[in-house]
Amino acid sequence: MSDSRGTVWSRALMPDARDATAMPSVLVLDGTIAAQPWRILAVRPNPEARFARARGGELGLDEALALADALHAAPADAAILAVVDTPGQPYGLREESAGLHVAFGSAVEAAIARRSAGGPLFALVVGKAISGAFLTHGLQAGWIGALDDPGIEVHVMSAASVARITRETPAEVARVAAIVPATARDIRTFARSGAVDALFAVRDPLAPDADELARVRTALASARNAGAGLRPPLARLAADGAQTTRAAALRVRAHIAEQWNA
Amino acid sequence: MKPRDLGVRFAEADARERLRAIADVGTFRELAGPFARLTSPHLAAQGLVAQSDDGVVVGRGRLDGADVALAAMTGEFLGGSLGEVGGAKIAAVLERAVNGAVLVLDSGGIRLQEANLGILAVAEICDAIVALRERAPVIAVVAGRVGDYGGMAIALTLCSHIVTSEVARMGLNGPQVIEQEAGADEFDASNRVLIWRTTGGERRVTQGHADVLARDSCSEIAADVRRVFALPRNARRTSVERLRPIVDAAAATATITRHA
Repeated sequence: MSDSRGTVWSRALMPDARDATAMPSVLVLDGTIAAQPWRILAVRPNPEARFARARGGELGLDEALALADALHAAPADAAILAVVDTPGQPYGLREESAGLHVAFGSAVEAAIARRSAGGPLFALVVGKAISGAFLTHGLQAGWIGALDDPGIEVHVMSAASVARITRETPAEVARVAAIVPATARDIRTFARSGAVDALFAVRDPLAPDADELARVRTALASARNAGAGLRPPLARLAADGAQTTRAAALRVRAHIAEQWNA
Repeated sequence: MKPRDLGVRFAEADARERLRAIADVGTFRELAGPFARLTSPHLAAQGLVAQSDDGVVVGRGRLDGADVALAAMTGEFLGGSLGEVGGAKIAAVLERAVNGAVLVLDSGGIRLQEANLGILAVAEICDAIVALRERAPVIAVVAGRVGDYGGMAIALTLCSHIVTSEVARMGLNGPQVIEQEAGADEFDASNRVLIWRTTGGERRVTQGHADVLARDSCSEIAADVRRVFALPRNARRTSVERLRPIVDAAAATATITRHA
């Protein structure tokens, strides 16, 4: 099996890293970028995973707990980079019965705790970033970068699942996405919401070249030096893109700010 | 013995009734309410009619005298889905809350029609819950007919305490989505016994995923919210040490009995 996008980018960004992986489906690498310590975390496929519905790179019960562990146990001075490439969460009775939402909560909790305690968090979207899996792995980062690539998908559900639920044709789904940007799944539209701090052009997302990698490393290092990894998610609302794309959210907040003490 | 009168059922009450029942009498003040005309700008283009409160009611009130933020969903508007406006309402009151918050969640998940703006709102809500929780209690109530699924179910797990009832259920993916994505052999969405036995409020309390099993009564739930408001946070709920054996047990279970 060829390496996933997440595996390729994680290894390529820190080729000399020490592999601290505890479970095959959650890659953990400790290394340096621009002479500073980083820990990279990526969820990746494992055809032998003990939960059958989480063998294709999905973020399942075991993956969520492994992410939480890797965040809690990361070297104190390391910045965290979540490399995001997951088709989403597994759909299974066993997962729900055990409490997949609580397992996800444990990783979200660990990410927020680390950032709040002064540990910078970054995310780099190199593949799919779907729903609960993206909330759990990536969206608590203070800085989010992404490849400027048509293979990137950001959404609450896979395109196929949405089509099954809405019973709409792909053409109809595309028509709606063109007039309601919130429903689009391409990275450029998502970036216009103000949630993406940098887009990186790539020739082949499965084989980054030296220049492409150098640009990402430089961006990560300068974002880290600027303190961007410590920003809370709320900071995204201040981005230029959010002023138009998220105008309704901004109106609601302005209204509540005005009425709170009224 | 005559059964105790449970009064108004919580599951039958709407969002405003739920918050008025929980807050100290006469103290709940709604903010960004229907007259503020803050409706979803994304629905009309998709052939749907927006609702004046976007399915979420928020405000400020008192709980045993404490100055708290209150937010509630009813689960009725578009399946209790969380969109841009409703999400911003909840995040905004959590960020301003002084001495704590009560969140009444009744959510089918992030609204498909506002997809990525819903995801961004949930990320903000998760962060706001943790920030507030460090200095004051954030109590969640999941006692409605929809229950709590998707993004807001992740947010739920971060709360100081969770009060639920036998009516409610909690999970990441709802039975219908699982049946659609994985087939009825995986999860038969019409099998109510199976749904409540695996994801119902009583089961979640037994598992340690929720804290209090209340009866379906506005007055009893209000009393339970006050009781847990005075307790230290349940920090064990999301601890890896607690969850690991639960996940190991799930992995060791070959099949889950689908019929009682």
